[in-house]
Amino acid sequence: MQIRRGADAPFSLRHTSMSHHEEGHHGHHIIPFKTLAAVFGALVFLTLLTVFLAKFFHFGALEVPIAIAIASVKAGLVVSIFMGLKYDNKVNTLAFSIGSLFVIVFLSITLLDTAFRGDATNVDPLTIMETEMQAERLEGREPDPADLRIAPGDYAGDAEADATTDAEVAPEPETVSGEAPASDE
Amino acid sequence: MAAPTSTVTMPQKTEDVHGAQHGHPPHLQHHFVSSEQQFDAAKMGMWLFLLTEILLFSGMFVAYTVYRVWHPEVFADAANLLNWQWGAFNTLVLLSSSFTVVLAIHFAQKNDKKKLVAMLVSTFLLACVFLVVKYIEYTAKFEHGIFAGRAYNPDVEYLLHYVDDPTNLLSPFAAQFFSIYFVMTGIHGVHVLIGMGLFAWMTKRALNDEFSSEYYTPVEIAGLYWHLVDIIWIFLFPLLYLM
Repeated sequence: MQIRRGADAPFSLRHTSMSHHEEGHHGHHIIPFKTLAAVFGALVFLTLLTVFLAKFFHFGALEVPIAIAIASVKAGLVVSIFMGLKYDNKVNTLAFSIGSLFVIVFLSITLLDTAFRGDATNVDPLTIMETEMQAERLEGREPDPADLRIAPGDYAGDAEADATTDAEVAPEPETVSGEAPASDE
Repeated sequence: MAAPTSTVTMPQKTEDVHGAQHGHPPHLQHHFVSSEQQFDAAKMGMWLFLLTEILLFSGMFVAYTVYRVWHPEVFADAANLLNWQWGAFNTLVLLSSSFTVVLAIHFAQKNDKKKLVAMLVSTFLLACVFLVVKYIEYTAKFEHGIFAGRAYNPDVEYLLHYVDDPTNLLSPFAAQFFSIYFVMTGIHGVHVLIGMGLFAWMTKRALNDEFSSEYYTPVEIAGLYWHLVDIIWIFLFPLLYLM
């Protein structure tokens, strides 16, 4: 642009476009159409891949990491080619990298708290979350308190309740009365 | 195209930074040495803004992760209620719009005004398609009492179409999932709306012959914004719809 100094318009116009081609490689890199189309194709392919893997396969615990990895590759393609970081002044890459770094710091330090909450003072070898999961499993195996009654005293509180439910639930009192004498011995 | 010819030139002084005996392109502001420098400064400013955008969304992504780690089974059931076909379709729509944006810049660099305008209009229309799909998805959920936060009051019949046991979906943690879903996609949708405004404006300016291979900074900057909106969706889609 600094070269443009011609007095007549046509000359200066032509000169401008020439000077652009000569100097334009600093900030105005023209990305070839083919490259852009290839990146777009890759993005569509990765989208279909992530849907396919999530809907037709079961990777269990790896499901989320796989989806995030694919999304990161897609974001990387958009950032480096579509947003031009690959061709740009490196200071922009720095801005973007700092942003990404802070997201990782934000996420991991938050999870250090929330995913292991209470574990610092926990003397059990298991983490709080593991203990809770174990309790949940045990609870699932635990029999109904109604099946654990053995002494007549266990039925004491049920007298009124049974009277009301007797009409609706016919088989229930039968099994109860059948078990009661056996447990009396 | 509209290459600035030096028809109107201010009398140049010897200390003029643009160099001696010639004017400067109309888009070049006086505090910049060259168009190149002005372009780079604008771009860097936009990247700094995008950094704040990344951090804005990261707060919501962290909220999502924390609650998901706490109640994975509820989140899995709740995500299942979202229509992944619409989500995948919208992902392709946004990716296409990112492609039309880079093509707009590509054609601006090649001084092809007609195709530049065509690409800007396509971007605008694809953004419209995205929001229409979002509207369809939102209303489909509202109809069955699926709202954010305390308003979450799902229709059990509807839930039974998706799961055999609706206990998870009736727990308060399901409401948490939908709060996160509506807030994240809602704020993302507001960004799409702003993007539509930007591209309508860019189209008007392109029609006014304001852009050329010499000067297309606003298109480039709007493009950077639009790609970020796309990147946010690239992460939102698998996390909300597929996991």
